[in-house]
Amino acid sequence: MTAVSSRRTQIGPADDMLLQVSGLAYDYSGVGAVSDCSLELPRGKIAALIGGNGAGKSTSVKMIAGALRPRSGKVVLDGQDITAMPAHKTVELGIALVPEGRLVFQHLTVRENLTLSGHVRRAREKFQQNLERVFDLFPRLREREAQNAGSLSGGEQQMLAIGRGLMTRPRILILDEPSLGLSPILVSQMFLLIRKLNEEGISVLLVEQNVHHTLAIADYAYVLEKGRVVQEGEGRALLKDPKVKEAYLGLA
Amino acid sequence: MTLFLQTILNGLVLGGIYSLAAVGFSLVFGVLGIVNLTHGIFVIAGAYGALLLFKQFGIDPLVAIVPIGLVLFVTGYVYQRTIIQWAVSRASLVASLVVTFGVAMMARNGLQLVFGPDVHTITPAYSFMSVTFGPLRIDVVRIVALGASLVLLVVLALVLARTHFGRAIRATAQQPLAAELSGLNVRNLHGLTFGLGAAMAGASGAIIGIVQPFTASSEVAWTLNAFIVVVLGGIGSPAGALVGGLLLGLINALTAQYVGPSLTQAAMFLVLVLMLLVRPAGLLGNAFGESR
Repeated sequence: MTAVSSRRTQIGPADDMLLQVSGLAYDYSGVGAVSDCSLELPRGKIAALIGGNGAGKSTSVKMIAGALRPRSGKVVLDGQDITAMPAHKTVELGIALVPEGRLVFQHLTVRENLTLSGHVRRAREKFQQNLERVFDLFPRLREREAQNAGSLSGGEQQMLAIGRGLMTRPRILILDEPSLGLSPILVSQMFLLIRKLNEEGISVLLVEQNVHHTLAIADYAYVLEKGRVVQEGEGRALLKDPKVKEAYLGLA
Repeated sequence: MTLFLQTILNGLVLGGIYSLAAVGFSLVFGVLGIVNLTHGIFVIAGAYGALLLFKQFGIDPLVAIVPIGLVLFVTGYVYQRTIIQWAVSRASLVASLVVTFGVAMMARNGLQLVFGPDVHTITPAYSFMSVTFGPLRIDVVRIVALGASLVLLVVLALVLARTHFGRAIRATAQQPLAAELSGLNVRNLHGLTFGLGAAMAGASGAIIGIVQPFTASSEVAWTLNAFIVVVLGGIGSPAGALVGGLLLGLINALTAQYVGPSLTQAAMFLVLVLMLLVRPAGLLGNAFGESR
């Protein structure tokens, strides 16, 4: 832990840091509690948050996006303190969280799902352009535009959930377990997509249990265990780390 | 045969009013998950409001719908954002049941204090006119009441289906977290939905005032009617409220005509119990699905 904090003080509030999170904590009575989550996302990069079930990954990103109010800690976006700002306001600042389990509006059509989030102030003027971009990215959604979201397959619902996030023209896309429940082929496509979105200029914070794929594309990664960041490093370095290998890659 | 048709006609007219009186309750139940036991108060407050405006200023109850709707919208919004929100966030959704029950009791007594225990009716110029279709006879007020109810229900349905506000309400009902993440202020939307429900209830009250006599204590019956309409028709949609309301109106009229006027309540509860056994989600189901 000492190594973790010294690195952070060295960097400080550097200009290239889009998102800085320090000491976030949240009390749940059960699993998912967070006691100390600190991480940084440089502009234009992919950062990953990995860890087992109930380690507090989803709780952490919900706090960052403002869907949960942290007990303590700080969230700074581009130099602005946004701690405890509600989610409908952080969206306007360019944070889009694609939640775990997709949570599409099942009884709304695909287009209605996209229209709602596309209505945020920061993206409203370019609505048509944003919609075209999402449809170009996910042609299946264009085909199913008028269908209820509940009738889509799991993979299509994940596309819709990501599309819903993209409609807000995010600066930071936070993806919570995007590969969950997808077939192996779709999982590979998902990681290609994440890289593509990143290359188009969106900074990505990726929460995943699929550690192998994640560390392969992440510039930097944090390991969350029982609510605290216990290890961090460059993605490819962690991939070779013996502790990570043993705990998350099933290799001794 | 004429008697039967006349009874059906009366039932449908009554049902249209039931539908409008229940749609707000249904919307609040579907979107917020709150069984609002203050609903009948909104209905009766609308009736008293229409009475006041008619007696003091000679304003027609149908015109009075506009100011009454506005006042009740604001009242409902503030009520939800304060008392109900406090109860739900500090305790649970179930706490809202107790709180709204308590507020209803206080409001009923408050209304009795102000307006007295007497039975009131509103009697605009067209009160005593009626039209005949062959052998069938219908009061003009009832046609007016039914027409106004249907217009308001259709407007509400269009708002829910076609506008950003309507989409936002439906999305919030299905997935509050995702709605918030899509940039919707869910707390505010809950308040607005509640206000909208109260406004619809108040509008129905103004219409009820010209069709039926009312007292402060009638509020209990209107909460109950709304509950039965939702069970019959399904939660959360104007269409469900319409189906449930018309059904309830028919049950009432037919029972009163062919079984006995004292048994209408019994018939209502019988159908309620049967419905809960056979199709607990109501004829049209929950408009917002099984997300809650």
